[in-house]
Amino acid sequence: MLKKKLSVSQILLALVMILISLTMVVPLLNILARSISVPERSASMSGLEILPRGLSSLNYQIIFSNPVLLPSILNSIKITVIGTLINVALTTSAAYALSRRDLMYKKAIMVFLIIMMLFDPGLVPEYLVVQKLGLMNTHWSVILVTAVNVYYLIICMRYFEAVPESLYEAALLDGAGHLRIFAQIYLPLAKAGVATIFMFYAVVRWNDYFRPGIYLLSSSKTTLQVILRQFIVSGDTASIIGAQNLLSYNEFAKVDYTALKNATIVVAIIPILLLYPLVLKFYTSGVMAGAVKE
Amino acid sequence: MTNGLQAAKPKSSRARKLAKLRADRILYLMLAPTLVYFIIFRVWPIINMRLAFYDFKAKKAWVFAGMKYFNTIFASPQFGKILTNTLIISFMKYVLLFPVFVIFAILLNEMRSVRLRKTVQVVSYLPHFLSWVVIAGIWIGMLDTTGAVNQLTALFGQAPVNYMTSKSAIRWILMLCEGWRSLGWDSIVYFTAIIAIDRSLYEAADVDGANRLQIIRYVVLPALLVPMTTMFILNLGYFLNAGFDQVLNMTNDSVNSVIDILDTYIYRIGLEKGQYSLATAMGMLKGIVGTVLVLTTHVTSKKLTGSGVW
Repeated sequence: MLKKKLSVSQILLALVMILISLTMVVPLLNILARSISVPERSASMSGLEILPRGLSSLNYQIIFSNPVLLPSILNSIKITVIGTLINVALTTSAAYALSRRDLMYKKAIMVFLIIMMLFDPGLVPEYLVVQKLGLMNTHWSVILVTAVNVYYLIICMRYFEAVPESLYEAALLDGAGHLRIFAQIYLPLAKAGVATIFMFYAVVRWNDYFRPGIYLLSSSKTTLQVILRQFIVSGDTASIIGAQNLLSYNEFAKVDYTALKNATIVVAIIPILLLYPLVLKFYTSGVMAGAVKE
Repeated sequence: MTNGLQAAKPKSSRARKLAKLRADRILYLMLAPTLVYFIIFRVWPIINMRLAFYDFKAKKAWVFAGMKYFNTIFASPQFGKILTNTLIISFMKYVLLFPVFVIFAILLNEMRSVRLRKTVQVVSYLPHFLSWVVIAGIWIGMLDTTGAVNQLTALFGQAPVNYMTSKSAIRWILMLCEGWRSLGWDSIVYFTAIIAIDRSLYEAADVDGANRLQIIRYVVLPALLVPMTTMFILNLGYFLNAGFDQVLNMTNDSVNSVIDILDTYIYRIGLEKGQYSLATAMGMLKGIVGTVLVLTTHVTSKKLTGSGVW
């Protein structure tokens, strides 16, 4: 390749793009920096500082020992793990059945599912069902109410349809049943697709604040995003986590509540950052499968 | 022999269907949990929507109320205001913001340094995966009187402004925030269309002595026409939405009157104020019109460009 000279427009373009990226990176680094700074010095930090002022783990000690915050984190993990597993199990098995071209009533079932995807009955009608089933204030409410997403189901079908039909026929001839073909041929061969919807679901589960907020009423059942939302919307961090809960810390008087809120934001982002490399590897292909084909 | 005759006769279509259903019973079992899920958590709520025509009673049977709640909606001055807010915010997000994602994709493609381009891409996709609560936390913090934005404007001698409580600023903030969150992610569809352009088109343009701008105009933009048409039409289908999660997390008492949208209103009257019937009636109107919108845009887009919502 020819080395082209750096033109003024290229430098300008690079600067603009770096600036745009900074608007996304600086706020996150600022939040991180303030959350690990020494409390008595963090209160006066500006929104542009990305280096911590000293180092302290106080905010994180509070979060991981607080009787409100720690259970909420564990609840979030529980709902995300169990919920995502149910999501993926239901979605992949339904997608396998629907990717069989000769399945009878396939068309009618697809029409039904697409109506389910498009028509939103609204909040109250769903709320009444959750109430009637006695699921209020149980983790099953949030887990079950979003058990299958039709859009992800269609993406998964596209991946299964791309598995060569000859493999299916060969397995059938060898006497394999559908469950074996599904588990031993389709899941491994379409693992990029399965990974994609797995991450779609996991991110949505972890990030959900709305349904946990309306269905999980007691503070022992609630999730991290719900608590974080109370921090941010009401701004009253002290009363939510209970000032008496902080008394055990000698440094109680020095707690910077904004920094404590920032530390909670960091905890809420960490699982996303852990998934992000996989997201980058698989997500883009998932978007293509959903948007481009038919 | 009767047996032989029966075997020779082609089976009736009914019998064949039954045999096929029986052969595929495992497949239907695999589908069953999903179908049961939708029947319980989607079809049942749809049946519950009849509440729009009834007065809600917690322990007893609902009392028929006819069109009462729909009349309330149409008579209320609030409704017009909320609908207007919804349409304005949707217009800003789905129309005004629309070219930004296209331009960003074109700019990414223009970057000579692949390393820098990849870095910008990795960074720009990230906000899409953050929860709305986190995004609201970041933005409220940035726009605070002591936040990053006011720190920057102070360099130019500006007095601090409380942006989040400014009625004139808040809708623009919602639009900017949506752009910030979706910049990388929503540009993927355009970027992939650009990198799919046949190399020979660039070479031909080079031979003709075209400069970068002419290449963008005559090679890149034509390739973007189809995805742009698709995305634009599909955007129109979401005009009644305007972004519930964003408004719910970024609103406050000072500005709620200008950014209260259909979904936040339904949430407030339904779950916060307990006016179940009114909220259901409004949700029904929104659900029906919204579904018609999405279906229309889907069919239109499919006809024009070959791709739609699914």
